[in-house]
Amino acid sequence: MTKFLPDYSGPFRPDFSHEKLNRDALLNILKANSDYLRRLDATWYVTVMKKRGNELAFECDTEIWEKFINYELDMVCETLNIRGNDVETLIKAMQATPWMWVHNRTFEMPEKNRAVVTFRDCQTLFHLEKEGTERWDTICHALERRLFERTADYFNPRIKVAALKLPPRKRGSDVCCQWEFKLEE
Amino acid sequence: MTGFLNDYSGPFQPDFNHEKLDREALLRILKANSNYLRRLDGTWYITVMKRFGNEAAFDCDARIWKKFILYEAKSVSEMYNIKGSDVAAVLKLIQASPWMWAYQREYDLVDNNCGTITCRNCETLYNLEKEGTHRYKQICNVLCRSLFELRAHYINRAIKLTPLQLPPREEGNDVCCRWEFKIEEKV
Repeated sequence: MTKFLPDYSGPFRPDFSHEKLNRDALLNILKANSDYLRRLDATWYVTVMKKRGNELAFECDTEIWEKFINYELDMVCETLNIRGNDVETLIKAMQATPWMWVHNRTFEMPEKNRAVVTFRDCQTLFHLEKEGTERWDTICHALERRLFERTADYFNPRIKVAALKLPPRKRGSDVCCQWEFKLEE
Repeated sequence: MTGFLNDYSGPFQPDFNHEKLDREALLRILKANSNYLRRLDGTWYITVMKRFGNEAAFDCDARIWKKFILYEAKSVSEMYNIKGSDVAAVLKLIQASPWMWAYQREYDLVDNNCGTITCRNCETLYNLEKEGTHRYKQICNVLCRSLFELRAHYINRAIKLTPLQLPPREEGNDVCCRWEFKIEEKV
């Protein structure tokens, strides 16, 4: 029986890697990696914004993510063997994003060709709300929509995206945004 | 039987997340995530460089990473329970970086106060070599050096960093860079 480590508190091992760790440790690292990703991406955005203004930072962000989303979907589908071209496949790939631990999201499939994704806890929106600059107009309304459309296109151009709820949030609402994905007959 | 999934080829599960997966699947994802990180960071750099020039891109990169590496060092040392103030702790901290699978590195600990890291397979350097613009002078010789130093000083300010080998590589040399970490004995 191979004994996997719960952490790396023991002596130095020249050949240390994730392969030495047990499942719980790997899970904790993956959860932390989600936030690492969010912070790295956001730090780039804010650094460029401080130097060149929001408009140019947003242009960079859009250019990057419009390309990068395809790479992410390739990676996720390959790593987890997600195949198909229907709404179910699209939703499975969205669930499996490396960013999964950043947001508290719920995924529902009320019908075979229709899904609803609800974001209830979005750190990005919370930061934008604190900032008070209404940048959700670009980040949530424009870029997020574009990325969901790209994601839908990646699986099947007949899958259409509709925003059911968008920021600003109404007082007392815990829904940050809500999206519908529907395969047109 | 663990009941954990090896992939997500089966039907949609409303509550799917990494917790449903077995150890092997988690490992695959972690390996892929290292490259994802490297590409995301690299894509930001290149996008800013194409719009505003290399000087502006490098300035952003250096500002970001000089802060971000401390966040990484803190979160990695907490998550992996890495304690201590010697060179062994520094090497452990660097081994456990979320980028670990993006590079092929060798770690040699001579004793607890002296160790080396040899990088033999660095996609970043390969891309810079292809580009042919000598940007490695900034990325490797300045920024990487500073980031290794910041991690060493996060553990212990008395640790000295010395580059033993830096780009450009000589023909046929498979070493991309090599660094020594050492705590000098007080005389």
